[in-house]
Amino acid sequence: MMKEYIQRFSVRQRIEHFSVMVLFLVLGLTGFAQKFFDAPWAIWTTAMMGGIDRLRWIHRAAGVMFTVFAIVHISIGLFMVLTRRSRPSMIASRKDFLDAVAMLRYYLRISDKQPRFDRFDYRQKFEYWGMVLGGMLMIATGFMLLYPVIVTRLLPGEFIPVARVAHSNEGLLAFLIVIIWHIFNAHLSPGVFPFDPSIFTGKVRREHMQKEHPLEYERMMRQSEEEEEAQADEAP
Amino acid sequence: MLISAGQAAPASPDPPSNDDCLTCHGKPDASSKLGDGEALSLYVDRESFAHSVHGGKLACTNCHTNITAVPHAPRQFKDRRAMSLAYYESCKQCHFAEYTRLLDGVHYAALEKGKEKAPTCVDCHGSHAMEPPARPRIHISATCAKCHVAVGAAYAKSAHAAGLAKGNPDVPVCTNCHHAHDNANPLTTASHLRISELCARCHTNEKLMAKYGISTDVLTTYLADFHGMTASLYRSEGLKSAMLTATCTDCHGVHDITWVKGPGSGVIKANLLIRCQHCHKGAGPNFSSAWMGHYEPSLRHAPLVYLTKLFYMIFIPFVIGGLVIQILLHLWRVVVNI
Repeated sequence: MMKEYIQRFSVRQRIEHFSVMVLFLVLGLTGFAQKFFDAPWAIWTTAMMGGIDRLRWIHRAAGVMFTVFAIVHISIGLFMVLTRRSRPSMIASRKDFLDAVAMLRYYLRISDKQPRFDRFDYRQKFEYWGMVLGGMLMIATGFMLLYPVIVTRLLPGEFIPVARVAHSNEGLLAFLIVIIWHIFNAHLSPGVFPFDPSIFTGKVRREHMQKEHPLEYERMMRQSEEEEEAQADEAP
Repeated sequence: MLISAGQAAPASPDPPSNDDCLTCHGKPDASSKLGDGEALSLYVDRESFAHSVHGGKLACTNCHTNITAVPHAPRQFKDRRAMSLAYYESCKQCHFAEYTRLLDGVHYAALEKGKEKAPTCVDCHGSHAMEPPARPRIHISATCAKCHVAVGAAYAKSAHAAGLAKGNPDVPVCTNCHHAHDNANPLTTASHLRISELCARCHTNEKLMAKYGISTDVLTTYLADFHGMTASLYRSEGLKSAMLTATCTDCHGVHDITWVKGPGSGVIKANLLIRCQHCHKGAGPNFSSAWMGHYEPSLRHAPLVYLTKLFYMIFIPFVIGGLVIQILLHLWRVVVNI
């Protein structure tokens, strides 16, 4: 009897997602309260947080925590992939590009065949790498704004207002991607509506795996068959 | 020598006329001895009073209200200051608005604390030979400089004072920023945070600034920057103390504000880093160019900032537009499949 649910995310991955989600909300709220500081909601938020100095402190503390999470995440990811403990499933490949084209053909009804995805489809990889690269830019520009005196010992002064513009706009872009793209894919998309809980529970339904990640599902099935055979061979 | 009473003027039931008073006080050698032994001249020059703002309008007794008959008993004061202080409330009979404003000012606050040297009406305006205070306007800065010597000297070096000396009516004198009567303490945090508002009164006036080729973007560029934004927020929080942020005067100087263009323009740029270091300890030579000098970013001024802005103006709609199109296509295909 096959189990109805399949384990998709480890405990570490679920903790990482939850932490980043909370930090993203805190950073977004305290960041936009500064970007749109004269908007009524921003004035209210700043007052609720106990003034601009406190709000900035929270933003910076959350930024430092985000930086720590980013370093830990990238280090663990690199370690797992380099020691072959994990497949480099997030690495973008030629197939992702072809999948995107195939998906476009499907959307435009040129073709009725949907591309078959592995562990992460091109949309998820796009979001992941957007998050990683955007996050690195936010960290770099954030530290430039936090330590302008140190930064300008090495870089021209103009880099500080550049960092300010980049930090502010990159933050806006990240926010828009999350509320439009991530909320659609994780909540509003007809396939998952109202809520795809897999990143919180770690589990996905078997049919969902078969439909959305067939290549990974087939590999998992092959592996478990091989393991069963191996166990059967070992049996006396 | 005391004026010997009853020497000349006849006693009368009506308030004494100016002529009655001048019978004695019109004599150049009229004088009295104060409590501290100093001789006080009691002489009032008929001509200079007649030509003063009050000449022909006021009688001596309008201000010296306690004199109801001539001759009067000699009045005793411990010193010159005590006499001034005894009379300063006379002015409020007519100039009540100015008087009430004075009560809100730093000078009155000092007086109330017992600092007798704090100025009252007559210290700035004079007494009998009173002239309109701002005719010419340079009188105002000269009046304040009588006590505020160092500030007066600093102001004298400023671009504003240079204009004032030429009779330019556009430039500010002390009272334009500090007010004449209800002058608030300029050294408080609240005052510091209001400085941009103060300067902006003239420096955002297009017509006025066009005459001198000065940009009126100075306020918006300041407010859009980190310091200006912080000052606005601190002000709306009603911050009393704590961390400060730079306002106009922290870079341009308080009273010795100089012309940033033209000869000596290097002064402000060369000094800018020193001004930055006042708060940003250890700032290096690159640091001050982090400030874009009141310019909106453009290809000429801060091109990297301009290009970064431009990049995101294109990149954000491009990415978000692409994602929205994909979502719409996805939904459309779902609907078509049904």
